[in-house]
Parts: sequence; C-alpha cells; structure tokens
Amino acid sequence: MNRKENFTAGFIRENPVFGLYLGLCSTLAITTTLNNAIGMGVAVILVLVMSNVIISCLRKVTPSEIRIPVYIVVIATLVKIIQMLIKAYAPALDSALGVFIPLIVVNCIILGRAEAFASKNGIFDSALDGLGMGLGYTVSIIVMSAIRQLLATGILSFENPFHMDQVIFSLKLIPEDYVISMFSQPFGAFITFAFLAGALAAYKNHQNAKEAKKEAEAKKQAAQLAKEAK
Amino acid sequence: MKKVLHLTLFLALVAAIAGGALALANSLTAPIVAANALAAEKENLALIFPNAGDDDFEEITVKDSETIEKIFQVKGEGTVFKMQVTGYKEGTSFMVALDDNAVADDSFRDSLIGKNAEADTLDIISGATVSSRPVVDGINEAGKYLLENVK
Repeated sequence: MNRKENFTAGFIRENPVFGLYLGLCSTLAITTTLNNAIGMGVAVILVLVMSNVIISCLRKVTPSEIRIPVYIVVIATLVKIIQMLIKAYAPALDSALGVFIPLIVVNCIILGRAEAFASKNGIFDSALDGLGMGLGYTVSIIVMSAIRQLLATGILSFENPFHMDQVIFSLKLIPEDYVISMFSQPFGAFITFAFLAGALAAYKNHQNAKEAKKEAEAKKQAAQLAKEAK
Repeated sequence: MKKVLHLTLFLALVAAIAGGALALANSLTAPIVAANALAAEKENLALIFPNAGDDDFEEITVKDSETIEKIFQVKGEGTVFKMQVTGYKEGTSFMVALDDNAVADDSFRDSLIGKNAEADTLDIISGATVSSRPVVDGINEAGKYLLENVK
C-alpha cells in the first residue's frame, strides 16, 4: 500500500467511525454541537499523531509481552497533557466536553492504530496514518454534529473555543417552529449515526460492485484475446 | 528471572518518563487553570454584590472547618462563603452571602444562634430532601462562623 492510499484510508475505505465502528462512545455523546465536534476532533488528532510517533519510535525496544501497558501509558500521558492544555487555554471547551476528554484514553481508534500500524511501521508513515485516521474521525463527527445541531436547533454556529463570546459564524437555517429537538438527545444520535453508517456502507458496496464488474470485463477480454491467439 | 527484570525495568522507565512529562505540563498549566477558576469565581461574586469592584473581594483563610471551602470578604458589603457539603451526591457546592447590615441586626443574629433555619422554610433545593438538609446546615454554619471568627 502506498503512502497516499494509506493516508486516505481513514476517510472512506477504513473510516474509523462509520466503517469500523470505533470510538462510538464519544461520537454519540459529544456530537450535539459543531463546536464540541471540532474541539474533540482536534484533541483526538493531536493525541493520535503523537502516540503513533512515540510508539513507532519505541517499537524496536518495546518487549512484545508488555507492549499493551506501554501503549496505554504513552496514550494516557498524552491525553492528560492535552486535557491540561484545554483546561488552561479553552476552559469553556473543557466544561462542554467534560469527561469525554479523559475518555480519549480508551478510544479504540488510538490503541487500535498503535497496535495495528504504529508498532509495525516507520515514524513518518505512522504520523501520516495518525493524521489520516484522526482527520477521518474528525470529519465524521463534524458531519454528524452538523446534522444534529441543525435539526435540533435550526442554527449552525461556531464560536472561537478560546473566547466563547467571539462567534465566528452563526447561520439560522431552519425557522424555530420546524426544529426537531429530539436530535440533541441520545435517540437522535443513534438515528443520525445509523443513517450515516448506512450511507457509507451503500457507497462502499456500490464502489465494490463497480470494481468487480470492471474486473470481470477485463477477464473476459483476456480470455477472448487468448482464444484469438490460438 | 532476567526477563522479568528486563520487563519490569522497561515499564518502570516508560512510566517514569511519562510522570516527568506530566509534572512538567502540570507546572506549566496549573497557574493558568487556577487563575481561570478565580476569574470565574469573581464573576459569581459580582453577581451577588454588583456594586463591588473587582479588587474589593479579598479571600481570607478558613480556620478549621470541613464544609467551608473559601471565604471572600467584600469591602463594605458583606461576606461570601463558598461551601462544599455532601448531599445526595458527593460534593454539592454553593455560596452563602451574608450582608454586613443583616449581620449587625440583632434579630438575624438571634435566629442564627438561638435556633436553626428549618429545611421547610427554604425553597426546595434540587427537589430532594437529602441534598437540602446539608445545605441548610451549611448556611447555619456559615452564619455561626461569621459571628464567631470574622466579626
């Protein structure tokens, strides 16, 4: 697999949220507003890239018997540092995300990438993999939170996470009488998730069917060529 | 045996480096976090005493009390107690503001010293009795503390 394929895997083919169903706890819980999703996404990207790099650096000296505890220590340390930084510089984001920042430690995407990729590949490739997977996660939760926030409140808005009073944009797209506030509840999270996961699966099936057709045609052509040669 | 030692030392080393990194990050962010918390608290205080300026709040040290977390004296206005009590849930936190003029009033003094404020004379707190009783106790304690130690 070349580098570009490896980097883009996280978006569609191996999308961690809607394709592999990883990291769902935080996905379902925090996708109520765009702000939360972007804050969470950036935190996960930072942790994922750094943990992949560190674990890749340590891959040759880490004894395989204790690799999981070593990964957990590395990941937990990074998450705690990120949490402290968020608490210090973006306190409003900290109170909005609450317990889900420390829970990044147990986000399966991070441990999954450490075990499946970073422990077997070089530093640069691992960083790229972390960035790709992190962006895949971030894009997924941004899409989900945009849908939920829009349907539940009728407003799509984004505030500067370092100064919550500073509104970067705020669009009122649906009149107040037509909003479905259910979408800000857990119930709405599951419904949105199901539709998006279904859409991704449908797209992948469609893509696979196309490829299979192409392959079959190529085979047919090859067979015909062989016949003619005879 | 050698293997066990190797594994133990490796994990210990990783954990030690992690601990060092955490201590460093904490020493960098802790003062900012504390300043943020203080600013948020001052905002709450300003809601209680809107006439007081930012510098009129002075924090004074608490003498032997389990429930009083912090005391702020507001110049010429009154005193604010930040209380931490255990109700239905661990760590119910609230503020008690006592006006200087009210404390000087004898009848208020008597109501604190003589008898306790009853739970049913207060508005319901979070709709539960388990939480409101410690809150009432906290208010009484703040009043007593003010009379005994501050005034």
